[in-house]
Formats: sequence, C-alpha cells, structure tokens
Amino acid sequence: MKNNVHFIIYFFILMGFSNSVKSQGLLDTLEKEYPDTPQYEIATFKATRISIGHSIENRKKGVLEIKAMNRFWNIPNFEGQRFVADKINARLALEYGISDRLTFGSGVSTLDGIFDGFLKYKLLRQRSDKKGSPISMTLFQNGSYRSRRNRPFTDINRFEDFTDQLAFTSQVLIARKFTPQFSMQLSPTYIHRSSSSFDEDPNNHFAIGIGGRYKLGGHVSIVSEYYYVLNPLKSIDTYDAFALGVNWELSDVMLQFQLTNTRGMVEDNFITQTPNNFNFKDGNFVFGFNATFVLHLNQKRKQK
Amino acid sequence: MNKVIILIFLLINFADFETKPDQFIARQGQISFFSYTSVENIEAKNNQVLSIIDLSKNEIAISMLMNAFIFKKSLMHEHFNESYIESDLHPKATFEGKIKDFDPLMDGVQTRMIAGELTIHGITKEVEIKATIENTEGKYLFTGDFEVAVKDFDIKIPPILAPNIAKNISITFRFEYQPYEK
Repeated sequence: MKNNVHFIIYFFILMGFSNSVKSQGLLDTLEKEYPDTPQYEIATFKATRISIGHSIENRKKGVLEIKAMNRFWNIPNFEGQRFVADKINARLALEYGISDRLTFGSGVSTLDGIFDGFLKYKLLRQRSDKKGSPISMTLFQNGSYRSRRNRPFTDINRFEDFTDQLAFTSQVLIARKFTPQFSMQLSPTYIHRSSSSFDEDPNNHFAIGIGGRYKLGGHVSIVSEYYYVLNPLKSIDTYDAFALGVNWELSDVMLQFQLTNTRGMVEDNFITQTPNNFNFKDGNFVFGFNATFVLHLNQKRKQK
Repeated sequence: MNKVIILIFLLINFADFETKPDQFIARQGQISFFSYTSVENIEAKNNQVLSIIDLSKNEIAISMLMNAFIFKKSLMHEHFNESYIESDLHPKATFEGKIKDFDPLMDGVQTRMIAGELTIHGITKEVEIKATIENTEGKYLFTGDFEVAVKDFDIKIPPILAPNIAKNISITFRFEYQPYEK
C-alpha cells in the first residue's frame, strides 16, 4: 500500500514534469534545433589594409579591388607653388580574390617606380561561437622591384643588375576581434633586400607591427598602426612607421584617410626606409588617402 | 488500488500520444528579402530558417540566424551583418505568434492571418501576416509575403545611401512542416 502511494506520487511528479516541458515556449524548442555549423567572425578589419599595412582580411572569390593609394607631403622651405602639396606618391593596384582564402594583387607606385606583386592566404579564421580558433591568421608574401633611383636621398641598394633592385617581404598576420567594435593585429615581418650599397646595412630585416581598429558607428572606424624595426638600416637614419587614420566603409567604396610619416606603400619601402619621424613639420607630415572600389565579378554566390 | 495506478499510467500514456503529433517543424524554411529602388536592387535569401507550429494551441514560432542570409555580392553580406543588422549583438531574428481561425484538419488551401511579435535587430514589433496554408496528407506548407519598414527596427542608413535602400523591405517566406520528433 505504501509502495503504491509512492508510485502515485512518482507518477504525479512525472506528469508535472512532462507538463512543464510542454509549456516551454516554442522558441526555446527551436533554440535546440539549430545545427552545429561553425560561425566565423566577419569584418575583423573590413578593409584589406588596416591603414598603411595589410590586415588579415581578404576579399571573397571573384571580387576585384581597384585601389588608388595616395600620399601627400610638403618639401621643407620650398619656394615653388605646387598645387595642394609639394610631393605626391600614388600606388595604383588591382587585387583579385582567386578563392575565398587566396588573394593576388599587383600595383605600381610613382615614387621610385616601385612595381609590386603579392599573394595573401587566409590560414585560420576566428570562430565567433567560442569554439575553434580564437584568432585569425593570414600569410602574406610580396616581391617588389625598384625601377628608379631614390634621388636626392642615398640609394640603399645597388642598381647594377635586375636582381639588385628586388626586395621581398613575408608577414604572418595574427588578429583577433575582441568585441564587435575592437580588433587588434600583430604582424611579425621579415624583409629581405637582394642587395645593399653599404656593407654595414643588413640585407635581412625583422620587424613587428601592431595595429588596431575601433568601430565608431555603422560605417566609420578609427585605426592606428605602428611598425617597430628590430635591426634598422645603419647608413641612413630611418624611423618606425606610424599611422593614425579613419576608415569609411560604404557600399562598394572604402575610403581610408591617414596621418602618417610613411611615403611609400610597399612593405619593404615603408617599414624599413621611412626617412622621417612622425610630427607635423613640413617634410615629415604625410597625409594619406586610399580609395578602394570593390567590383564583384562573380555575382553567383554558392548556395550553402 | 492497482487498477487506479494502471488507469493513471494509461492516462499519461494517452495524453502523451495525443500531444506528440501536435507539433510540426520546418528545418529548412526559406526567407528572402528584397529592396527595390531605382538606384539598386538588393536581394538576399536564407535557406536555414527554423520554424515550429503547435496545432493544439495554433501557435507558431520562427527563428533564424541573420548571418545565414546569402547575397549576390559578398561585401554586401559583410555590410549587412556588420553595419546594418549588427549580427554580433543581435544574431537572430525571431517571430512568435498565433494562427487565427486555423483548422488543422481541413484539407487543401486556406488563407489565415498570423498575429504575433516580430523581433529583428533586438527590437520587437506587433505584426499581422497573411499566410497561405496548404494541408496535404498531414504535412503543412506555409507561404506568403509581407513588408517591414526599416525605421521600425532602428536600422540606421547613412543619408548618402538613403536612395539605395528601400524604406519598406518586402519579405517572402516558405515553410514545409513535418511531424516533430524530439
């Protein structure tokens, strides 16, 4: 008899329990039905440059970026009257997404006539669902050819042979999106120059870059970047590259404005060969402006 | 006493059998949205929308991940999630409501109003949606379309892009429900 009472109580509890399961909202039921597909963090930096250097981002397959990167600065105590700024360096480039992870790009800079080409491969993608990789990692390799002498500055490489004018940059870009607003990147860099005019200069440079992005609103973010060179050139005075900028990402156009001390736009050039420090004096202060137009050549995205 | 226990046991079992086929689920529901303006047409599709209906109470719930929308332009997917819908903060859009005057046993097509709460971008609005419901051999197909105003859900559009994005976005949906087994 006592046992039976226990049974009845047990059944009532069971009934109550099953009722409570049923009274759960339908949305809670759906919550459990989500398939376990990995969710990746998007738009760690949005643009393929943080400001002056490469970010971990690359465009998706079939996307062509048309880039016009410009740097403007004044010559100290210049007597002439040039329009807007005394000196300008422009890099025109095309960058194409071969696959969702691999990008190839090529460009030409007007100052020193530098031709460059690069490959960029996204190795790791940060997962936003607290599983998998906590960081994103992109491998970057470029090669550049300097076609003109760097007058009136001293040339740091020889100009005797074609291979003398080559330089190569390898970077491992590591970034994490900490919050929806804030991302940071570390960029260990190795630069190899094929020739040196001076024996005292190293041919291989090591540098580390640090960059960050803070999203202010839907389309505007502020960015900053700094590159520290561990073994700089000895024959000429060089300074570390620094940039403070505003990125405006809108529709198919991305605009990046920066206050910087770098005049070059190819990695080996601006990381190791920036001849001036960052301040607002004529000749040192450089205003930069990157305009990127994003063209979707392959509009048929695969249905998942 | 034993008979009472058996009776209760049977009752519970019957109660369970009664409620189980009441719930129907759609795991690959489709929701598309369109923004037509003279400047630009924007279109996106989500094929992984979850929905469940409870026929005992005529209730319906829909849930989807905003980043599962597929756009023709990959950069648009990034803009949509990062700058407009902010899917980092509000990853899901949901709907919870009641189907008015719905007769689950009626065969063929019936058009019914669904009233409920639509949550997009963290903001909940009361909406009424007209749906066409087709019942074939105990499977239900819900289709229909409705419009939402962008400003109702606090989605900010920069003035320079105002001509590119329609003020009212039209949404179409299609759900095929199967009996839900837990």
